[in-house]
Amino acid sequence: MQVVSVVGASNSGKTTVVEALAERLAERGRVGTVKHLTHAPDVDTDGKDTARHRAAGASETYGLVDDGDWFATGADATLADVLDRLAPRHDYVVVEGYSGSTLPKIALGDRDVADPVLERADSPDALDVDAVVDAIDALEPHHTLSSLVADVESSPRADRAGAIATFTGRVRAKDDPEDVETTHLEFEKYDGVADQRMAAIREALEGREGVLDVRLHHRTGVVDAGEDIVFVVVLAGHRREAFRAVEDGIDRLKDEVPLFKKEVTVDDEFWRHDRP
Amino acid sequence: MGPSEIDFSERDGLPVVHWKLFADLRERAGAETVAVGDPRTVGEALDVLLAEHDALRERVLDADGDVVADVNVLKNGANVFDAGDGLDEPVGEGDELALFPPVSGG
Repeated sequence: MQVVSVVGASNSGKTTVVEALAERLAERGRVGTVKHLTHAPDVDTDGKDTARHRAAGASETYGLVDDGDWFATGADATLADVLDRLAPRHDYVVVEGYSGSTLPKIALGDRDVADPVLERADSPDALDVDAVVDAIDALEPHHTLSSLVADVESSPRADRAGAIATFTGRVRAKDDPEDVETTHLEFEKYDGVADQRMAAIREALEGREGVLDVRLHHRTGVVDAGEDIVFVVVLAGHRREAFRAVEDGIDRLKDEVPLFKKEVTVDDEFWRHDRP
Repeated sequence: MGPSEIDFSERDGLPVVHWKLFADLRERAGAETVAVGDPRTVGEALDVLLAEHDALRERVLDADGDVVADVNVLKNGANVFDAGDGLDEPVGEGDELALFPPVSGG
């Protein structure tokens, strides 16, 4: 799933740009959108049944009609939670607002926004939508374990699959209860070469008897303690070849792919290869 | 932080190869990319790179002037010691060279 956000002052034309992108991207895949609100949502106003459900303590409430249309309200979601939820069923998400996030941005007007900025324009009319769409397709995709599993489940070879095995590598705060706490890791990638080597590993695993489809994904940039770093997902005929391919896949990825990890603890920072 | 790109290809029109540097090697050079003009081999390109960066040279070469075991030297994605002629590997216009420490993904 590719994610982009459209940011700028109010009345700068953000919604117009979101509409233009959603329309264009929908020709290529399923599009989700997220809007940053500064006030509580008013879709389930006081006195409606759904509002009464929430007031009674439901953490999420769906209003669902027979043709499949729905809306939902709930509590305690972050932008990251919502993106993770959208990932398994969407090819694109366009976010309106969140100028301080780490998402790639299309910035309207001259307001200061957090990096990275994909494109900046004075007004919606000044944006080259074709160029923006190409830039969105070239971004690092947002994957989750669920989105990668959903991907292999829709494999053309899924009718022969009796197993899906997965590995998730995550940021460990401590090896030992006495350890100094790791707050986050920073990953650097040799673009191009890393992707070629991951593709070669995937191809080798998919060439094995009984292995039907493989996904490998490694996040880059800052990954906080407790967050996921790397995924290996294998669709296979049977469990044995699924387990073996997962183990060999993560072992080869760690040995062969040019990715570099800086570890940041509460009182130090160091390159992981310097402290084997 | 140093500049992200340093260009040592002084004379226009000569073949240029680029070094890409990663992790602590990038930090020691203060640059992600360094352009080198007209080297014939990986070794010549490395000499030009290290001549300008003392902190990087200390990290990359041992007392005998050999590349230390935990530094990888790549040309166009392939390790020159495993898959090429080592530092004698020829280079030409557009080749991409890379220096990086042991990989540590996952």
